[in-house]
Amino acid sequence: MTILEATSPRSDHRASARQIWLLTVVLSLLLLSALSLRFGLRPISWHSIWDSFVAYDATNANHLVLQGMRLPRLLAAWLAGAALAGSGALIQSLTRNPLADPGLLGINGGASLGVILCIFLLGISDPAYFVWVAMGGGLISTVLVFFLGSAGQGTPLRLILAGAALSALFLALGRSLLLISQRSLDVYRFWVLGGLDGIEMATLAALLPFFAVGAALAAVSSFNLNAMMLGEDTARSLGLRVGLARGLAVCAIVCLCGATVSMAGPIAFVGLIVPHMARRFSGADMRWCLLFSALLGAGLMILADLMGRLPVFGGNMQAGVMAALLGGPALVWLIRRNGRAAL
Amino acid sequence: MSWSLRLPFLSLSVSQRAVAVGSVLMLLLTLGAVLALRLGSYAFSETSWLSVLLGAGSDIDRMILMDHRLPRILTALGAGACFGLSGAMFQTMMRNPLASPDVIGFNAGASCGALLAIILTGGNVLLGALVGALFTAVLVVGLAWKDGLHPQRLVLIGLGIGFALAALSDLLLSRTDARTAADMAEWLIGTLNARDWQDVWLVWSGLLLLAPAVFWVHFPLARLGLSDDLTSSLGLRLSPLRLGITGLGILLAALAVCTAGPLPFVAFAAGPIARALVPNGRPALLGAAVIGALLVLAADTASRLVPSIQLPAGVFTALIGGPVMIWLLMVQFRKGKL
Repeated sequence: MTILEATSPRSDHRASARQIWLLTVVLSLLLLSALSLRFGLRPISWHSIWDSFVAYDATNANHLVLQGMRLPRLLAAWLAGAALAGSGALIQSLTRNPLADPGLLGINGGASLGVILCIFLLGISDPAYFVWVAMGGGLISTVLVFFLGSAGQGTPLRLILAGAALSALFLALGRSLLLISQRSLDVYRFWVLGGLDGIEMATLAALLPFFAVGAALAAVSSFNLNAMMLGEDTARSLGLRVGLARGLAVCAIVCLCGATVSMAGPIAFVGLIVPHMARRFSGADMRWCLLFSALLGAGLMILADLMGRLPVFGGNMQAGVMAALLGGPALVWLIRRNGRAAL
Repeated sequence: MSWSLRLPFLSLSVSQRAVAVGSVLMLLLTLGAVLALRLGSYAFSETSWLSVLLGAGSDIDRMILMDHRLPRILTALGAGACFGLSGAMFQTMMRNPLASPDVIGFNAGASCGALLAIILTGGNVLLGALVGALFTAVLVVGLAWKDGLHPQRLVLIGLGIGFALAALSDLLLSRTDARTAADMAEWLIGTLNARDWQDVWLVWSGLLLLAPAVFWVHFPLARLGLSDDLTSSLGLRLSPLRLGITGLGILLAALAVCTAGPLPFVAFAAGPIARALVPNGRPALLGAAVIGALLVLAADTASRLVPSIQLPAGVFTALIGGPVMIWLLMVQFRKGKL
């Protein structure tokens, strides 16, 4: 791909357009992050924000709110958005299905069931422990979905329906467990909304290794998926071990989704919409698509979180709910635009 | 082997296997209903339940049987039949055993409507579920309509809307106090707790009202399993037919959801089981209705038999239906039927 780009003037032009877009996206993301620190139930002045970084004062209420609540929240939005959108881009490329999404395919559902089991059976409510069961549940559901959706000649619709059926199963099993214990229900009904409030720095630090491993695997996979774009036979003839490459991509997806679910609950649709937006800027190259997806996903989560804090939504609407309410219509739009040809 | 009936206005052919399976199922249903009447925390003696049904018996026996158990069982049967019919209709029309109303999001609409009704009016679940399901149906069909109604687009848009509505339900669940939330969580998985004659009346009158329409679409529905081209060359108009069947299926699903809650996997499992019992390539609507009724009855009876904790029936349909679903998917995929 790179050789082609270097020799053709048209892709030269596109490459420079891409760099300009990258700059724009990064700058808007920084702006959004700054706004997210500034606004909320208690607006904090720019000056105070600056001070809290350079001269932290533990007796200053503004500094406490900023460093103890808004900053972890912002970082969580970054991580969750980037992880979900990145894994969405990977799944869409891996399954060649424009409608694939960790939420729709039941991967988040499996991870959630793991977390519910953890809360319910073990009485644990520390996300650092959640992450293992979440990844276990996510892995099982990913394998099931891929097995169910791709045995024989797979169609995109079949994969999606297999995912939806599995999601329904996990949801029903999870809700059944919750009925037995009132305490679990109280933990669950707030966690399931995909909220970012109440996340602490310690949680982020505990989950960071998982995000890092997921990101590294995703980066490696983006090269492999680029090679696989021309078809598996071509990829094989280029010396790529297709099975291993697929396995790595699945590991990246499970790692990223498991960490996100245990941090912020199951958030649907971010992984679906963002890669479509990203492809407009990145073109077909998977490495760029992944980068743009991660950046735009982080932006979308910050935006959803920020919008949820508006007075219109009562001041504390969870980001996951906002994402779902925005994502449903976006999916409808995608389906209507793609028509039957793309399915 | 099959028997045929030919009248001037109607000709039917019924296979012997269908008749045999049907009789066994009806026998099972009767036995199951009697068993469900007798079992429970208040035990009837060998004959006392029968004497109550015949108009005699002690007051307490009478109260337990007539005010509690019988309405509950009849509601379970009616709701199960509605779920089964609705699921089989969607699955045949979409040519896909995964496309039942609980998988593609129509039940989510009914649940959401019912939750809103609980929050806004403090009760009135029935009306809320009906309005919610109909609103979702109009929304989904309206959005999926583009040069006619294509099953794939209907499924996908139903899924998308269903996911958004499920998020809304979760939101509603978190915005209430803990007590209401517990009630709502129970309702959200489906329960037949404390049904009365009003529910029986609602579900059975609805079922009887819709039965002629179901009978009428049975014949074109069997043709919809063929390819689009073949179906239209038989003189069937695809889009209006699909619209009608979707409407009917949603009404049935809504009826079931508002009396029994969104019991998972009944609509999903009933059709494939019926088709597996009588594999003649037809929609097997009647079979699906009977299997649906059996499933709900079994789940509800099981839920009453667990001592000390009150588990709703939906827990059991999920526990039965989940593995059935995975097994079905594997069998279907192996056969290449999907």
